[in-house]
Amino acid sequence: MALRSGPPLAPRIGRGLLLALFSALFVLYVAGPVGWLVSSSLQTEAQITAVPPNWLPPDPTFANFEAIFTAADREVTYETRRQGDPATGGFLPSGAANLLPSLWNSLTVGLWVAVLNLLLSLTAAYAIAVIDFRGRRSVLYTVLATRVIPDIALVVPLFLVVRNLGLINSLGALVVTYLAVTVPFTIFILISYFEGIPRDLYRAARIDGCGHWGALRHVYLPLSLPALVASLTFAFLTSWNEFVFALVLTQNVAAQTLPIVISGFIMDFTTSFSFVNAAGVIAIVPPVLMAIVFQRYIVSGLTAGAVKG
Amino acid sequence: MATIRCDALTKRYGAVTAVDALDLTIAHGEFMVLLGPSGCGKTTTLNMIAGLEEISDGRLLFDEADVTWQPPHKREVAMVFQSYALYPNKTVFENIAFPLRLRGVPREQIDRAVRQAADQLEIAHLLERRPHQLSGGQRQRVALGRAIVRKPSVFLMDEPLSNLDATLRLSMRSLIKRLHHGLGATFVYVTHDQAEAMTLADRIAVMRGGLIQQLDTPDGIYARPANLFVASFLGSPQINLVEGAVEDGGVFARGAFRLPLPAGLGAPGRQVILGLRPEDVGPPGEGLATLHARVELVSPLGSETHLEVRATGEVPLTLRVPKEWRAREGDLIEVGVAPERLHLFDRASEARIA
Repeated sequence: MALRSGPPLAPRIGRGLLLALFSALFVLYVAGPVGWLVSSSLQTEAQITAVPPNWLPPDPTFANFEAIFTAADREVTYETRRQGDPATGGFLPSGAANLLPSLWNSLTVGLWVAVLNLLLSLTAAYAIAVIDFRGRRSVLYTVLATRVIPDIALVVPLFLVVRNLGLINSLGALVVTYLAVTVPFTIFILISYFEGIPRDLYRAARIDGCGHWGALRHVYLPLSLPALVASLTFAFLTSWNEFVFALVLTQNVAAQTLPIVISGFIMDFTTSFSFVNAAGVIAIVPPVLMAIVFQRYIVSGLTAGAVKG
Repeated sequence: MATIRCDALTKRYGAVTAVDALDLTIAHGEFMVLLGPSGCGKTTTLNMIAGLEEISDGRLLFDEADVTWQPPHKREVAMVFQSYALYPNKTVFENIAFPLRLRGVPREQIDRAVRQAADQLEIAHLLERRPHQLSGGQRQRVALGRAIVRKPSVFLMDEPLSNLDATLRLSMRSLIKRLHHGLGATFVYVTHDQAEAMTLADRIAVMRGGLIQQLDTPDGIYARPANLFVASFLGSPQINLVEGAVEDGGVFARGAFRLPLPAGLGAPGRQVILGLRPEDVGPPGEGLATLHARVELVSPLGSETHLEVRATGEVPLTLRVPKEWRAREGDLIEVGVAPERLHLFDRASEARIA
């Protein structure tokens, strides 16, 4: 049998072990909190607070989730909330009924932001990347410069603008605000992607009979699918996770999003961690689904064979 | 039907003038080659004709209709690129069909036109493949198919053969020539390859620095280059150039190197550059000037032989001689030169002295 070339066997095994060890540590670091979130959502309040902790639910219960989905039917007052539910330890937060409506608010805002963000950024990125017009670099830098300012510095001015427009506590206000955050980044991402698409393809499309819309549709859209999917995901997640603007611009169940409502659970007189964690699990479901659906589109090599090479 | 007229066509990039007030009329059905080194403005000119490059100044007319400001998709031109520029997400069939689909041609008609073009280009068996599954030559055939399927009246080609290997380049060259004969369309072809230019063109425009140096038939350009640049750009091996002066009695002289000039060529005392094509030599004979030379290097090519020699006065020359000449390195040879085959250029202006 021929000996394999390469470094001697012992160091090779050692290196493999080391890599495995660090990979495991990294996975633990990233997935640990999520694992604990899921595990604790299936435990009762008493099991969660037990010392030593139960890493796995000793007696899995869906009572926390049941509490979430039935919260709207119960009137939670100081007197009533101690009753019932062994899983939540009887501590149902006063805003519990807002959880499901806020989930819909988050979904609505997230989807609008994802779609509008893509439409706006796509056309802007095409114009900046492809059409040769005076001052296109300045346009790009101006757009990007808006992102240098920290969000927190914009909260008060934005609040005033939104209030004067009469849009406080509306989903529309959140959509518009989030677009201001996502569009510049998306434009930037798409421009670099578009600039990687061979210019001759654009020229060929123009010669073959495409105007700018045609070139966008027939060349840039199909060839930048991975970037489009990434943009869609990025915008949705940004909107889904956003906290500061939502806190300031929304006031009640009509427009409050999931992060606001869930954070509200912790500020109650007593906190039901099992309930909060179950809500947390529900909050990560849509992004995880999205990642699963879209990951197969995020593939490279779509432009192979376009031009010489 | 398309006559293309460039009327003082100019392209500026900031302070740089890429194409400088170019005047050029390309007749209907003509095969015009824009020839020149890289950066000479030939591709910019082509792109302006295509509409891919905005025209800074001047006018562009198709059949006397002003198209200077028309976008490319309104100009009804077809183009083939050096990089092929096939749509990677479409099959070969869809690549060729694409221009017709955009024009809303009925399905059956598209099908017929694509298959006809594919047959003509011998790529009918590749129609369901995608570009990345094709070789370079096949890709360029698909690109040609996409161009001819529209039956355009103007064909623009931007160095279409530069990415192909030498053998393929020859067969594609004759394919393009046949296409031109078959289609009867106006062709504008950009290349830096003199052999492509000579074999394909009805007329060649030799360009340098955004200006046309000479516009003539291939034979005309080769036989009567307008200046030193054109003379040295065309011809392989390159034309021999010898600096010297015209002496009394119509003789070119550089030290001991002397050649009689045709009557009336160059006033005595004028500083000139003499041009002698490597192949314009033969056995000594009557009416010919004789050159004495020592052979330094023999390069047999099979069909012919290239000799590097030192002529009288230590003037280095390259000669192209029939393979029957059995010269060896170190031999002293005599060759005959016909005075009317000599080219003479002014040393200061580099222009041809007629």
